Amino acid sequence: MPLVLDRVEKSFPGVRALKGASLVLAAGEIHALMGENGAGKSTIIKIITGVHKPDAGKVSLDGKEISLSSPRTAISLGISAVHQERNLIPRFSIAENILLETLPVHRGLIDFRRANIEARCHLQMVGLDIDPATEVRRLSVAQMQMVEIAKALSHDAKVLLLDEPTASITDAESEILFRLVRQLRDRGTAILFVSHKLEEVLSLCDRVTVLRDGETTLTSAPMKEMTRRTLIEAMIGRAERPTIPRASTPIKGPPKLEVRNVATKSGHQSISFSLRKGEILGLYGLVGAGRTELARALIGKERVTSGDILVDGKVARPRSVADAIQRLRMGYVSEDRKHEGVILAHPIRSNIAITIWSRIANRFGFLTEKLEREIAEPLSRQLDIRSPSLEQIVGALSGGNQQKVSLAKWLAADVDILIVDEPTVGIDIKAKAIFHELLNALADKGLAILLISSDMPEMIALADRILVMHNFRIIDDLVNDKRYDATSLAIMSAIHAVEQGSEDQRTTMS
Amino acid sequence: MNKMFEFAIRRQWSGILAVIIAGAVGLSIIAPAFLTSFNWFVMLRSVCVSILVAFSQMVMLGVGQMNLSVGALGGLVAIIVGGLMDAWGWPALPAIAVALMVGGLAGFINGWLTVRTGINGFIVTLATASAFAGINLGITKAVPFYNLPSNFLAFGNGKIGFFPILLVVPLIVTFALAVFFSRSVEGRYLLAVGGNSTSAELSGISVSRAIVISHIISGLLAAAAGVLAVAQLGSAQPTIGADWLVISFAAPIIGGASLSGGSISIVGTVIAVLLVGLIQNAMVLLAVDPYWVTFLLGALILVAVWINRYRAVHLDED
Repeated sequence: MPLVLDRVEKSFPGVRALKGASLVLAAGEIHALMGENGAGKSTIIKIITGVHKPDAGKVSLDGKEISLSSPRTAISLGISAVHQERNLIPRFSIAENILLETLPVHRGLIDFRRANIEARCHLQMVGLDIDPATEVRRLSVAQMQMVEIAKALSHDAKVLLLDEPTASITDAESEILFRLVRQLRDRGTAILFVSHKLEEVLSLCDRVTVLRDGETTLTSAPMKEMTRRTLIEAMIGRAERPTIPRASTPIKGPPKLEVRNVATKSGHQSISFSLRKGEILGLYGLVGAGRTELARALIGKERVTSGDILVDGKVARPRSVADAIQRLRMGYVSEDRKHEGVILAHPIRSNIAITIWSRIANRFGFLTEKLEREIAEPLSRQLDIRSPSLEQIVGALSGGNQQKVSLAKWLAADVDILIVDEPTVGIDIKAKAIFHELLNALADKGLAILLISSDMPEMIALADRILVMHNFRIIDDLVNDKRYDATSLAIMSAIHAVEQGSEDQRTTMS
Repeated sequence: MNKMFEFAIRRQWSGILAVIIAGAVGLSIIAPAFLTSFNWFVMLRSVCVSILVAFSQMVMLGVGQMNLSVGALGGLVAIIVGGLMDAWGWPALPAIAVALMVGGLAGFINGWLTVRTGINGFIVTLATASAFAGINLGITKAVPFYNLPSNFLAFGNGKIGFFPILLVVPLIVTFALAVFFSRSVEGRYLLAVGGNSTSAELSGISVSRAIVISHIISGLLAAAAGVLAVAQLGSAQPTIGADWLVISFAAPIIGGASLSGGSISIVGTVIAVLLVGLIQNAMVLLAVDPYWVTFLLGALILVAVWINRYRAVHLDED
C-alpha cells in the first residue's frame, strides 16, 4: 500500500473543506478521484503534494506515517504531481525543465550535452521523441503534459498524481496518454487520476474514490462494480438540502432581460435565453463551461461579437460596466470576492456605497462619509453584516460577511437585474442558508436574478428554471420542479450526453 | 481623551510624530541654534518643495501606479517658468500659469500613454522622464536662468515671523488633497482603483480615467514643486528635480502609503517630510557630513516598509 489517507480533515477560515476523507492508493493501480467542484478534491491533492497540512487524520506511505511539510518533501518521498496549471518554465528547454533541480554541472557550468542525453532517456520513458533542447513553449499542451510526467518520473515517482490531465488535449492525444498511464501502472507506479469525465474514468481506472462535501462517499471501490449512474449518485448524493426550496410558482410577464443569439469574444455561440422580473434563472455548468465569461459579457466587461441583448424589450448592448450599471441597472456579484468583489483594505461603508458615489454626490462632485453611512447602515442591518462598525476594513471580515458586502453594494445601486456568480463558494453552511433566503426574498421583491452555481443542491433549491451550459453553449433549458434526484440526474445526463456525443462525432470523423 | 489616544496609536505616523518631537527637544538642548527663528525659517522653507514632490508621488501610489518622471517633469517646468520670466520677460503670474499647464499636460501624456499602450506605467514614466530631462537640457544647454522678477523673488524669500510665505502653497495643497481624497467622487475613484482595480471596474468605475486623472494631478503637483524650487533658490537651475526621486517615494511610504495601492496618508506624508527636514537640519547644526542624509533616508524607507509589512501580516491573521 504506497499511500493511505486515513480520516483526513482540513479547515480553512469559514469552511470545512475535508471532514474526514479516506483513500487507499495501491501500487500498480490507476485510482480515480472524483467529485463535484468544491467537494474537496483540490484540498486532497494539496495535502498529498505537501502544500497543505491536514488538521487531523493520518497520511502514510508504505505503512509509515509521514508528515508532508512542503512540496519538496513530497517529491523526495516519491510523490509527484502533474497539475492542470502547467508548472514548466516556457522559455527553458525540455532538458532544463526536466532536470531543473539536478542539472549536471561540469567545472561550475551547466553541462548541456549531458543534460540533453539524460533528458532524452526520461523522454523515452514517456514515448516522446523530441529534441530535449527544444524550448517548452514550442510544444503542444499534450506534449507539455508528457514532459511533466517525464519530470515526475525522473524523481523516481512511486505515486503519480494526474490532475484533470485530459481537460485540454484532444481525444487522440488522450489515447496516447492513457496508453502511457497503463504502462506506468504495469511497472508498479501508483496513479491517482483526477477527472470529471465519467467515460474515461470508467474505462481507464481500476478503483475509484468519490468525494462529496468534504467526505468520501465511495472509498477505493472497484471500478468494475460501477456504472455512470452509481458514480453520478455518489458525486451529487441524495438531496441533503440545508435550504428550503423556493416555492414553485410559474413566473409570468414579459422578459426583463433577453439574450438572442449572442456570440462573444471568449467563444460563446448562439446563446439565447430570457429572464423575467421576479425570476431566479439558474446557470449550471462545470468549471470551464463559460458561465463566468457569459456573465462578464452581459455586464459589458467582455466583448459581445454578435447577437442582441435586450432589456425591457429594447436592444441594449452595454458599452462598459459603468453603462450596464447606470443605464441598464444591472449588477454582478463576482465569484472571486477577494479579487473582484470588494476592496479589502477599504472600510465596509465605502465598499457598499462605491456603486453610487456619483449618484449621492452633490453637483460639485463631493460627498460625505455621513451620506455613505446612511446608505450602508440599513443594508448592513438587512443583510446582517457582522462587524463592530461600518468603518471596519472588509479584509478583517469573515468570508460570509465579505460576500454580504459584495452583494450589498448592488442593493445600494438598486439594480433591476442581478447576476450572482457562485455566491456561496467558501462560506459556511449558516451563512449559505442566509444567503439563499436573501436571494429568494430579492426575487420575490421583483429583481431578475441570474444565478451561476456549480452547487447542485443550491441550484435546485433556488432556481425557477435552469440553463445547462457546456463548452460555451447552452445545451438545455429546463423548468426546475425542485425534485432533487430527478432534476440533478437530468442535468448531469444532459452534460454527459453532449460529451459522449462530441466524442462519438470526433471518432467518426477521424 | 482615550479615544484620541486610540486614534493616534492606530496611525502609523503617530510614531514618527513622536520621533520628531523627541528629536526637536533633544536638538534644542544640544544645539541652541536650533530654536532661532532663522533656523526655523530655513527648515520650513526647505520642506515646502519636498511636500509637493511627495504628494506628486503619493497620488500615483494611491491609484496603484508610479511616476518616475516626477523630478524630470519638475525640472522642465522650473526652467520653463524661469525662461519665460528671464528670456521673454513675462510677469510672474502668467509664467506660473503656463508652467502649471505644461505640468498638467505632461502628466496627461504620462497617463494617456500608460492607458493607451497598456505598457506598465513604470516603463512609460521612465521613458518620459528621460524625454523631459532631454528637453530641459536642450533648451537651457545646462545654463540657469537668473534674472527673475523681484516680486517672484520676494515670494520665495518672504516671511511672517519665522513662517516662510512659500509655506502657504503646500498648506493649501495639503488641505485640497485631503478634501479631494476623502470627499470627492473622483478622489474616491482613484483610491478604489488603487485598492482593487478589477473590483472597481466591476463596480462601474473607469480605471483608465482614474489613471489619467491621477497622472494629471501628479504632473500639476510636480510642476508646482518646480515653481516653488525656483522661487526658493532664486534662480531656475536645470538641475532642479534631479534628486527628487528618493524623497518622492520615501515620504509617502514612511507616512504609511501601501505600495500595492489604494491607501495613502496625507498627514503621514507631511509628517514624514518634516522628519526628513528635521534630520537634514540636525545634520547641518551638528556639522555632520550632509551625504549621510541620503544614507539615513534609505534606512528610513526600509524600516517604514518593514513596519508596513509587519502590520499587514498582523492584520491578515486577525
